[in-house]
Amino acid sequence: MRMKREPVTALPTISASAIDVAPIRYVDRTLDNGLRVILAPDRRVPAVAINIAYRVGGKDDPPHRSGFAHLFEHLMFKGTARTAPETIDRLTEDVGGYNNAFTSEDITNYYEVIPSNHLERLLWAEADRLAALDVNAQNFATEREVVIGEYDQRILAEPYGMLDELINREAFAVHPYRRGVIGSPAELNAASLEDVVAFHTTYYRPDNAVLVVAGDLDVDETLGWIGRYFGKIGTPATPIPRVRVVEPEQTAQRTYEYRAPNVPLAALEQAYHIPAASHPDAAALDVLETLLGYGRSSRLYASLVYDRQLATSAYASADLREQPGLFSVRFTCARGVALADARAALEIELERVSTLPPGDAELERVRTQIASSVVRSHQTNNGIALMLVRATTERGDPEVVNGDLARYLAVTPDDVQRVARTYLRTANRTVVEYLPA
Amino acid sequence: MNEPDLLIPPAGPPRDALLPAPVERVLDNGLRVVAFSQRNLPLVSAQLVVRCGGAAEHENEAGLSALVAALLTQGTTARGASELAATVDALGAQLNAASGFDASVVGVSATTPAFPAAFALLDEVVRRPAFAPAEVDRVRTKSISDLALMYANPNALVRLVAQRVAYAGAPYGHPLAGTPATLAALGRDRVAWFHERFYRPDDAVLVIGGDLEVEAAFALAQRVLGTWRAPDAPLAACPDGAIPVPRTRLVVVDKPDAGRTALLVGRTTIARGSPDYYAATVAAAVLSGYSGRLNQEIRVKRGLSYGASASLSARRMPGLFGASTLVDHTRAAEAVEVTLAAIRSLADDPPTDDDLITRKATLTGAFHRGIETIDGIASALSEYVLYDVALDELNHFAPRVNAVDARSVREFAARALIPDDFVVLVGDASKFVAELGARFADVRVIPVERLDLGSLSLEALSATG
Repeated sequence: MRMKREPVTALPTISASAIDVAPIRYVDRTLDNGLRVILAPDRRVPAVAINIAYRVGGKDDPPHRSGFAHLFEHLMFKGTARTAPETIDRLTEDVGGYNNAFTSEDITNYYEVIPSNHLERLLWAEADRLAALDVNAQNFATEREVVIGEYDQRILAEPYGMLDELINREAFAVHPYRRGVIGSPAELNAASLEDVVAFHTTYYRPDNAVLVVAGDLDVDETLGWIGRYFGKIGTPATPIPRVRVVEPEQTAQRTYEYRAPNVPLAALEQAYHIPAASHPDAAALDVLETLLGYGRSSRLYASLVYDRQLATSAYASADLREQPGLFSVRFTCARGVALADARAALEIELERVSTLPPGDAELERVRTQIASSVVRSHQTNNGIALMLVRATTERGDPEVVNGDLARYLAVTPDDVQRVARTYLRTANRTVVEYLPA
Repeated sequence: MNEPDLLIPPAGPPRDALLPAPVERVLDNGLRVVAFSQRNLPLVSAQLVVRCGGAAEHENEAGLSALVAALLTQGTTARGASELAATVDALGAQLNAASGFDASVVGVSATTPAFPAAFALLDEVVRRPAFAPAEVDRVRTKSISDLALMYANPNALVRLVAQRVAYAGAPYGHPLAGTPATLAALGRDRVAWFHERFYRPDDAVLVIGGDLEVEAAFALAQRVLGTWRAPDAPLAACPDGAIPVPRTRLVVVDKPDAGRTALLVGRTTIARGSPDYYAATVAAAVLSGYSGRLNQEIRVKRGLSYGASASLSARRMPGLFGASTLVDHTRAAEAVEVTLAAIRSLADDPPTDDDLITRKATLTGAFHRGIETIDGIASALSEYVLYDVALDELNHFAPRVNAVDARSVREFAARALIPDDFVVLVGDASKFVAELGARFADVRVIPVERLDLGSLSLEALSATG
C-alpha cells in the first residue's frame, strides 16, 4: 500500500550545535632561517595546494609609494636569474593546475594548485623566486603599466569602483590602512627599479613568510624538499619594519560625498572601527555580519530590498584585519528612491540590532549558516591552505582554525547586541555617499 | 642554492586517486538511485537529474525548460518564495535548479545533521512547485532582461548563432534561455505542463553521496522519493533527428557597437557515448590553454588576441566542437585563417606522443580538482548516468585519457573536426567584411537588428516582405 504524504508546512530547523567538523591536522615547523612551514596532508585526490604568504601588504607600502606591495606581486611573475618570465604559469597551467596571487592590506599571498607529483617542482620555483628574483627596467615598466591599467579598469571605470578606496581613506585618519591596496598611479609612476630591489630585500625573506602545503603530500618527503630548496636562503640581520601606528579613537561622525559619472544608482556605505581579527569580539562581529547582511533571509535584505523595495542590494561586512579594521553596511538605492529614504530604513535596522538582542530562532539560523560555511570551507586543499595562511598571519596562530566553529556557536544574543551597541555608534562611523554626477 | 639545485627538479610519477565506489539501485517507482559514501567531512549532497531538458521543448517554446527549473525554487504549495529561502538558510543548505539541453538538475547540499530536512525540501520543490503566477511573471521578466545582457556580449552571442548554424531546426539549435518572443508567450499553463510531463521518477536519476553509508542513502531516497508516482502517460521518446550539414559556411553578424569581434569555428562532432570521446577531448586540449596551439598562433606569435581556446560539448546527440577567440575588428579575417589553420594542423602537422603528455595532463589535473568536493563527484556521476557511461568512469577517466596516442588524435581530427566546419563572427563588419570576402567564398552578413535566434534562417521576417 502506498502511503499518502501529509503536506509539510512546519518549518524544519536544526540546532547549529549539531554541526561538527573534525579538526584540520597539520604539522607546524619553523626552519632555522625563520620560514614558518605548515603541512596539512589529505591523500584522497592526487592534487595539492601551495600557499606562500609574505607579511607585507598595502599598509606596509613605503612612504609615497602607495600601491607598491601590489605592484611587487606582479613583478614576482617576471622571472628569476634561472627562469624565464611566466615560468610559474607554465609549471602549473601546462600540467593541469593553476596559480595566482593576491595582495591584501596585510599580506601578499602566492598560490599554486597542481597534481601532487609536481609538488617538488613548484616548491623549487617558489624558493627560486624568493632567492633570485630578477626584475629589469623593461619588465618593471611594462608591469607598472599593467597595474595602472588595472586601476583604470577596476577603480575608475567600474561603477562604485572608488567606494572601497574612499571608505579606507576617510575612515582612517592616520593609520596606513587609509591608503588601501591598489594605491595611486602618481605614486606608482614615481617608483624606481631601486625601490623594487629595496622592497624585495626588506620583506621577501624567509622569516617574513608562511609556507602552507595542503593535500596529497608525504610530510617527511615534503619537509625534505622544503629544507633543501628554502633552507639555504639567508635571513638578513636587519629587523623587518612593522606598522606601529595606532589609529586614535574616532569621536565624531565623518561624512563624505562623492560624485562620479558612471554611477547608475546612488549608493551609501557606513563604516565603523572595530578591533583586530584576533580580538575576542571577532566571532560576534562575524555573526552580526550574517544576521544583518548575508543571504536573502538577512535583516537588511528582508527589509530594504524585499519588503520595502528601497534598495536593489544591501549587505554588511565585518572586515577583520591583522590590525583594527572596519565593519561596513552598504546599500544601492532602487530606481527612483531617494538616498535619505533608504538610509532611514537602514537606521531603523541598526537601531533595532543595538537595542534588542536577536531572538533565539533567528540567531540559531545565523549560527547554522555560519557553521555550514565553516564546514564547506574545509572542502578544497586551497581553501584549507588559505585558512591556515590567514590564521597564522592575521591572528598569529594556525590553531585558531580549529576553534572557530566553537567560537561561533558560543555567541549569544546578548553578545550580538553588545557588539552592535559597542561599535555601531554614530561617533564611530564614516559615511560615504556615492552619487551620480 | 647549491649547484645541483639550480635546475628545476623533474615531476614525480603520477599518483592515483582514492575514489568512492558508487552503487546503483532502482526504486519501485522506476527512480534510479546512485549512492556513494565519502565521509571525510560532515556534508551530504544530492542531485536529481531529470532526463529531459531544452532539447525536449518545442522550437516555438524555447526557454520553457529553463523557466520551469528557475521557478522550482520560487515557492511550493507548502511555502512561498521568501519562506522557502528562509528555510534553506535556517538549514545552512544550498538548493538550486537549472536546465541543460539533455537534462534538468535540482541539487541540494547541507551538513550531515541538516541534510534529511534539506533533502525533504528537494522533494518538495520537485514534486509540489507552486508556479505562482506572480513568480512566473517575475522570473520571466528577469529572464528577458538577462537576454538583453547576453545579446550585448559578442562572446555569448557568437555561441548562440553558432548553435543555430550547426543544428538549424534539430534539437540543439534553439537558444536554451529562449528568445524575448518565446518567453513572452510562455505562461503558467505551459510551465505546469512541462513539469508534469517530464519530471517523473521513471525518467530520473538521483545521485546522492557524502557523509553517509550507501545503505543509509538508499533508505533516505526510498523514504522521501519512494512515494513519487509516475504518471500514467507513457515516457516521451528522447528527441532525435538528423543534424543537417550547415548550408552557409561563413556567417557574420554585423554589430557595429561591439568592442571587439568574437569568432567561432565550429562543427558538430560526437555524442558523449562515442568511442572517440577521449581522442576528441585530447584534440580539443591540444588546441586549448596557454600552451595550446590556438593560443600559440593567435596570441603568442601574432598578438591577435588575449587568448583563444577550443571546447567540445559531447551530449546525447552529437555535440558542438568550437574554437573561439576575441580579436580587434580589423584583424578578424586574419584570425579566421589562423584559427582554421590551427585546427587543420591537427592532421597536417599532428602532435607527437611527447607533445600530448602536457596536454593530457591539463585534462587529468582539471578532472582531479573537479572531484575534490562531493558536489564535484555528484556532478561527474550525474553526467555518467545521463549519458549511459558506466559509473566506474570515475576511476577510468584519467587512464583512458592517458591511453590516447598521437595517431588517434590525428585520425579523429581528419575525420570529425576538419571537414564541414563553419565560421561565425560577431563584430563591426565594416572593418573586416571586404577582406573576409576576398579570402573566403559564400560570406553571409546579417545586421544585428535583423538577427532572430528564434528563426531557423536567423533573420526576422521583414514586415514589408
